[in-house]
Amino acid sequence: MNPRLPSATSPDFLAARTRRHFLGRCAVGLGGIALASMLNQARGTSAAPSSPLAPKPTHFPARAKNIIYLFMAGGPSQLELFDHKPKLVELNGQPIPTSFIEGKRFAFMDSSHGTRLMGTRRQFAQHGRSGMWVSELFPHTARIVDELTMVKSCQATLFNHAPAKLFMNTGSGQFGRPSMGSWLNYGLGSECQDLPGFVVLQSGPRGPRGGAVNWGSGFLPTTFQGVPFRGTGEPILNLTRPTAVTADGQRDALDALRDLNLQRAVATGDPEIATRIAAYEMASRMQSSAPELIDLKSESAATMKLFGIEDQRPSFARNCLLARRLVERGVRFVQLYHTNWDSHGGPGENLQADFETVCREVDQGQAALVQDLKERGLLKDTLVIWGGEFGRTPMGENRDTTGRNHHIDAFTMWFAGGGVKAGEVIGETDELGFNAVRDPMHVHDIHATLLHLLGLDHTKLTFRFQGRDFRLTDVHGKVNHKLFA
Amino acid sequence: MLRPPPLRALLPLAAVASALPAPAAPHYLREVKPILTQHCVRCHGGAKEEAGLRLDTAANVRLGGASGSTVRTPGGRESLLLSVILDTHADIPRMPYKKPPLGAAEVAVLKAWVEAGALAPDQEEPGRFEHWAYRLPSRPPVPVVLGAPAPWSRSPIDAFILQRLASAKVAPAPEADRVTLLRRASLDLTGLPPTPAEMDTFLADQAPGAWERAVDRLLASPHYGERWARPWLDAARYGDSNGYSIDAPRQIWKFRDWVVSALNRDLPYDQFIVEQLAGDLLPMATVEQRIATGFNRNTQINQEGGIDPEQFRIESVFDRVNTYGTAFLGLTVSCAQCHDHKFDPISHREYYQLFAFFNSSVDDGHGGRRSRSTGNLTLGPDGKVDEGLEARVAEVQEKLEALFTTHAAALESWRQALPAEKRAAQRPASLRAALDVPWGKQSFAQRRSVYPLARPADAEFEGLSGRLAELQRPVPGATTTLVMEELPEPRPSHLFLQGDFTRLGERVEPGTPAILPPLRSAGPRPNRLDLARWTANPNHPLTARVIVNRVWQQYFGLGLVETENDFGSQGLPPSHPELLDWLATEFTARSWSLKALHRLIVSSATYRQASHAREDLALVDPLNRLLARQQRLRLDAELVRDTALTASGLLVPRLGGPPVYPPQPDGVMSLGQVKREWKASTGEDRYRRGLYTHFWRATPHPALAVFDAADGFSSCTRRLRSNTPLQALTLLNDQQFFELAEGLADRVLRERASSPLAEQLAHAFRLSTARLPSALERDRLAALHGQRLAAETGEPRARQRAAWIAVARVLLNLDETITRE
Repeated sequence: MNPRLPSATSPDFLAARTRRHFLGRCAVGLGGIALASMLNQARGTSAAPSSPLAPKPTHFPARAKNIIYLFMAGGPSQLELFDHKPKLVELNGQPIPTSFIEGKRFAFMDSSHGTRLMGTRRQFAQHGRSGMWVSELFPHTARIVDELTMVKSCQATLFNHAPAKLFMNTGSGQFGRPSMGSWLNYGLGSECQDLPGFVVLQSGPRGPRGGAVNWGSGFLPTTFQGVPFRGTGEPILNLTRPTAVTADGQRDALDALRDLNLQRAVATGDPEIATRIAAYEMASRMQSSAPELIDLKSESAATMKLFGIEDQRPSFARNCLLARRLVERGVRFVQLYHTNWDSHGGPGENLQADFETVCREVDQGQAALVQDLKERGLLKDTLVIWGGEFGRTPMGENRDTTGRNHHIDAFTMWFAGGGVKAGEVIGETDELGFNAVRDPMHVHDIHATLLHLLGLDHTKLTFRFQGRDFRLTDVHGKVNHKLFA
Repeated sequence: MLRPPPLRALLPLAAVASALPAPAAPHYLREVKPILTQHCVRCHGGAKEEAGLRLDTAANVRLGGASGSTVRTPGGRESLLLSVILDTHADIPRMPYKKPPLGAAEVAVLKAWVEAGALAPDQEEPGRFEHWAYRLPSRPPVPVVLGAPAPWSRSPIDAFILQRLASAKVAPAPEADRVTLLRRASLDLTGLPPTPAEMDTFLADQAPGAWERAVDRLLASPHYGERWARPWLDAARYGDSNGYSIDAPRQIWKFRDWVVSALNRDLPYDQFIVEQLAGDLLPMATVEQRIATGFNRNTQINQEGGIDPEQFRIESVFDRVNTYGTAFLGLTVSCAQCHDHKFDPISHREYYQLFAFFNSSVDDGHGGRRSRSTGNLTLGPDGKVDEGLEARVAEVQEKLEALFTTHAAALESWRQALPAEKRAAQRPASLRAALDVPWGKQSFAQRRSVYPLARPADAEFEGLSGRLAELQRPVPGATTTLVMEELPEPRPSHLFLQGDFTRLGERVEPGTPAILPPLRSAGPRPNRLDLARWTANPNHPLTARVIVNRVWQQYFGLGLVETENDFGSQGLPPSHPELLDWLATEFTARSWSLKALHRLIVSSATYRQASHAREDLALVDPLNRLLARQQRLRLDAELVRDTALTASGLLVPRLGGPPVYPPQPDGVMSLGQVKREWKASTGEDRYRRGLYTHFWRATPHPALAVFDAADGFSSCTRRLRSNTPLQALTLLNDQQFFELAEGLADRVLRERASSPLAEQLAHAFRLSTARLPSALERDRLAALHGQRLAAETGEPRARQRAAWIAVARVLLNLDETITRE
């Protein structure tokens, strides 16, 4: 986080002011001092780890401090982007050998699921010093391959969108479990005093399936849940004061509210009131910090060009830039959702023009994000994750046009910065791209590895609920050390 | 804060404490065994015998392992058990190995037990669990506490609480002032703050029995049912939509209204259970009893394309079993879904025996139909069920199906021969999609849309299809509600290996866990009604304890058993085991009357204590487990709204009916996969209680979600009470709360039009918090009022109103306003 200059809204200033106010006007000296210490605790300064969001020590030294997770909602086709399979092209139109699909279950099993192999029509080339394969659809991403660890052997358990997305976020297909960002804020606390520790940004034609449960806190306190920032209008719900209220009016009301709450805190001795006073202070800071965050005026023309942001409209590229600004301000976990990757071949989701569109929407922004983080020295502390809830089948699926079905046995994700290797490919699929034949990495393993990078042992990050110690990785998860630089 | 309680409260108790005998040796089964089971038996038990040692029975503890007896104390030295726990042993590392050390209280129990000779009953079976919660509650004698202050002899509850306090040498808090008490009881019993008139009546009633009269009035209020329906609906995972990604709306609010009504007429809890679990199976079941079975229909329905409906039907059965375990038994049966329960005596097999009770209902996992019925009750405008309607619909559908089968071959060849451009020209898109699907795999709806294209002017089809449309045309004023209904023949149930429904294990029949009392079945094969009657039985060790604990939790923030959803061995033992058993037996003895239970608790001196923090308890009892004071509790999400509604005078107190749509910020509904509309209600429905707000599972109203409303995904028996900046933003800026602040401002200016400012402020403060402001508080509000009056521009009335809205916003944002003190 950037060094912070004392300002009129800094916690120290406010603490001093409330203390002065209190001692000066309420004239209940002893209670006041006790209250001031209560307030400091509630505010979560590093000296007092009693606030749920106060920074907490890691289990071992961390390689990364923040995560930016680029969630490609719908399940992007690895076979059109990263997993280069000449043999599949060669066998285009042939039935898949039954040994591959025996005993497997797929979405849309009864209707349109195809059994004929489909080679990609996209041209692939090797890029960078690492010689990583990337298709023509990602020209910008091809420029940054030497910053990436690409894992081609990811595996998931569930093959319907909503449960699979939940699984990727919470380690379970059941509703009610905490998401990764909630776990991290629970385990590590937040280093940001005036923004939430877990922010969600969305782009694309619709919201991700499952909606808010993807960033919910499940059984963890709601303090840890993701806060969706909106692309248009005010960035956080209810951030803006009612239209009839002026800025001065809001300030006057907040001052009076704080004074009255302080008096009640003294009368009852309930530390929850101190927490509430601190919450109003944070809310008040968010009213200025969040609009400041989304105002890109301070960004240079060169930066805007790098990201390809040309106007005020919400876009994935804009969200990528916002993500950088969020981690600059100490936000622990930023998650970007971009729809619509569900390339079955139906209307609006074919593997031709529709797929090109969605690729174009993300390519420049994601490459610019990695490059920009690196140039600003933020990449070493920030782990960038790219991937969907699953991948797509090597077989074609016939709807309006040809597409691909959901596939959980092998798909590609990539990682950058935050202590992972630069220019590395991990895992391999068979010649048809169906199964992971080397270094398979299940979602639980991905979670265990991510937590490890942030300095947390996934077996020790637990929360007791309904008589059981729950973990992000349930009872599974192996840390994959091959990713680590 | 930090003021010690007045001395007069302390003195008599000091005498009580010294009069008590020294605590007896800890009870092995109740106090010692739970500690050993929780911390030791995983490595030193039947499954693993580290160092040749087992600690799963007292005999094994005495026998010891490779290092000898664990409890012998040779020459007065420390026993092995204690030395390894306290890390004073020379060779053996601290136990539990690589786990956090035992708490001081646990060590004290073990130490006292060892020192008293490690006594335990004979013939203890390790496998046969002696966990307290699986034994029937026995009626404990009410302790006699000598020298108890007069108000503390009001209720047997107080005797149990006072006994513990005395042994901890802690005095109870004084009684809260009467204003606080009435606001507390009003919020606790009806979820609404008292009106100034109700408060005045209570304060003026100085005759004996004033409190009891107030409590009786509140229990008789129809709002009592609304208040107490909410925690039950949380446990029942109620919601007004289908959940999962599509989250289409559903109608099941009749079930919500049934709960409100059942509580208001004080339907005995045993009957309350039976009607919800098996109302449909009761002889001559009434419409109301069938509506009650909506309890088990609050499962999510996955309408996503491409799913396997059977998978999600099974998910809903899992949910029913798990909810049954949580809501009625306080057990985490879900652990046994994939394997034998690791800690509690519920086997993998027994889980699927419970599963078998719920596995034969007519609903499927896709919102479709499995038989002639869909488990959806249609009630006419008169509230009566058109019993024949479903059958008539099914009959027409079957005739159509027959027609489709007759012409199947012709239809498929027509479909295949259809030229691509004709296919592409079809509207809507769903029809185009249907044409891509072979006839044999099309759904009923798809076939019905395709058929007239292929066979135009088929009179038989047109007649039947028209008749179906007519039957399915919504009747104005009619309502549907989801209910349980059994298939004519039960579905066979199997064990699922590791919980995976594609891997069938042995076949199982309905049954209950062996650790609990035996099940009696009325027919040849036990059904849900047998399960319901088995549950709602005073001889069940869990049912009464679990519900009295959850009721208690609402009044004190935590239950006597803190893990209210886990009475098993991994849960926490009760803080006051005798009180829990006394309450459970009293509850069943009073014919399972919930109102009687509420009256019992609310009448106690324990309940009526002040809630202020006490410095003298900060170290002794930081979590207030001893209950030497009441607890300040932030109001539940719905009540945060209800309180502001009441203060503003805008509340429309009408009971029941379809869900309503108070304002919410734009853009909330677009967060889900399917964008849905939220058209804010106008008129009366804008100002109904929070209980009636339409609950979309995927995109709940943000003002509910932000204050920790239950999510409706799984059974919730205790809400979190978070305290966050987003709550602050909601109360400060949300449109609905701003409207209520305007309402409060207008109300004060209307009701105290010609009063001086100080009186107006006092009135407004009272409407929000029920009490009068202190001089300091009043002056601070007056200062704000003056500031804003000076700052506003415009004509005097508008300035006055704006200044008052500022005051009203502050009042509705006060921590005290949204807290029950």
